[in-house]
Amino acid sequence: MKRWHYLLGGPVLLLLLIQLVPNELPPVVHTNPGDLIQSGIVDEEVASILKVSCYNCHSNETDYPWYSYVAPSSWLVARDVRLAREELNFSTWKEIDMIDQLGKLDDIYQEVESGKMPMDVYTVVHTSAKLDERQRELILTWAEETMDVIAEEEESEEEG
Amino acid sequence: MAALIGLLFFQGTTKPELENYPVHPMMAPDMPANVKTIVEQKCYGCHNADSKNEKGKAKLDWDEFEASKKSKQMAAKGKISEVLREGEMPPKKFLEMKPEGKLSEAELATLIDWSASKKKGAN
Repeated sequence: MKRWHYLLGGPVLLLLLIQLVPNELPPVVHTNPGDLIQSGIVDEEVASILKVSCYNCHSNETDYPWYSYVAPSSWLVARDVRLAREELNFSTWKEIDMIDQLGKLDDIYQEVESGKMPMDVYTVVHTSAKLDERQRELILTWAEETMDVIAEEEESEEEG
Repeated sequence: MAALIGLLFFQGTTKPELENYPVHPMMAPDMPANVKTIVEQKCYGCHNADSKNEKGKAKLDWDEFEASKKSKQMAAKGKISEVLREGEMPPKKFLEMKPEGKLSEAELATLIDWSASKKKGAN
């Protein structure tokens, strides 16, 4: 064996070995009774933006790319999706308390307004998820209006 | 339509209440004096518009809170309530330098009661 055999063989062997570590990708579920979009309270245009730019991480309907099944990138994808769903999962939207829905919408507004979401590392790979100015405005308007509606409902519940 | 009528009704009924209040017009209906006192002593130092604590200011700015509309205030209160119940505020690191900044049991209870006051209807 020549020296380059070792130089190449080591990393390749390591790469093969780490494939044996089971991936921990959060499961994909397509039917979600508590889903934000499936519950029909979002108009079509906003729904399609959410689907393209947010749902891959912030819902149970993740569309995993091929590299999410290959270590080590699979570990990163698994971690990102897990954390994203913990923070906000549109698939279980209706299970969230009204007051916490307000909080989530407020977060959405701030994150999208400041350009933190969708994350740059994500849109570099998923270019279609990048929001243009108009889409950004649509999301902001939607978040604000929905907050007003929920605040009204909450208020009338208080009085009733 | 019903929501629109509801909105008109809501605005129509709360305005007179605002005018009757002698204190800060935005703060008055939502923030009782005892809550305001605690906030000023224990929270406002970092959570204000001119705060040098960028993270604290970004998360919650009381000056902005006062001026913001109902839905925003309710959202903020929900988050305040959660953070307080988790014991995350004031931050541990901050208390190491300034132990007197800690909320007393009674103060904590007052703030939690206030911030969760719109939570009755939930569940």
